[in-house]
Amino acid sequence: MKTTYLTLVGNTPIRFDLEESLRIGPVIASGNANKSINFPYATCNSEQNLQDMLNTSSFRQSSILVPEPLFKKYVFFDQVTCLPDFPGLTTLDINPEKCSTQTLSLLLAVYLKQKAVFLLGYDITNPTELTNLKSIALANPDTKFIFICNPPRTFQLDDLPNGFCDNYIKYQEIIDAKK
Amino acid sequence: MLKNEHFYKYSLKLRWPAVCRNRSIEVLKERPDLIEQMNMFRDKINNVLKIVCRKKWQIDNNHSMSGIRLWFESGQDVYDFIIRQPEFGWEIMPEIDVINIITGQLQKFDLVYTPTGVSID
Repeated sequence: MKTTYLTLVGNTPIRFDLEESLRIGPVIASGNANKSINFPYATCNSEQNLQDMLNTSSFRQSSILVPEPLFKKYVFFDQVTCLPDFPGLTTLDINPEKCSTQTLSLLLAVYLKQKAVFLLGYDITNPTELTNLKSIALANPDTKFIFICNPPRTFQLDDLPNGFCDNYIKYQEIIDAKK
Repeated sequence: MLKNEHFYKYSLKLRWPAVCRNRSIEVLKERPDLIEQMNMFRDKINNVLKIVCRKKWQIDNNHSMSGIRLWFESGQDVYDFIIRQPEFGWEIMPEIDVINIITGQLQKFDLVYTPTGVSID
């Protein structure tokens, strides 16, 4: 899974051909917000969502990453994989069992040490989510976090040295450049 | 993990028959009867795995004094193999190893037998 780019799909449903995103690197889904797309990886931390994902055909080929207590309950399901121990979680004050799935995906993305993480459908309207994103970004200065949204651009990440904001057209151009 | 074309995610260890356990290589060299018993045991496991498993499985060729290691592609096959243990009268070590696709590490969990099935501690 070592590539330069990684695409993270947050909790908000999006309308973008993610098959295209796979050209530049792995794609991680957060929970079951986008059911119509086949993702190679998805994160989840609630049993209800996990059961829903296991019963959804689009997740049949996905590796569903869950925290250890949940993994122990679903160990015999081939798709279910245990999330690794994320370093520095106590400093960040994030509990992988209780945080949102998009934060969980973000923790996984930085664990994989990719150079750039594209955030698609990432909800930053919630102040907790924004704080978590900023904390994780500050703790990982070598990784670029590119928030992809429809215009107008957001200025919420401008105070981060490694936080950027772009639109879907620019993101598509990056994908096309890799073709 | 043993063959490149298949990903064996799960692993279990099955104890050798009581007389064959914890025998060193030196002892085994002097006791062909034990070797024969171990080979028969291996053949028996092979036959049972053919019946129980729906996906790929593998018997590890590396020798271990305590038991024989089995690798499974499917979690459902592992579960079926464990719950059919009394039927074949052998002893599975109460732990399961799972390979993590992200870290590549082998994670060890304790198996707990409950009246309703098997759970992980």
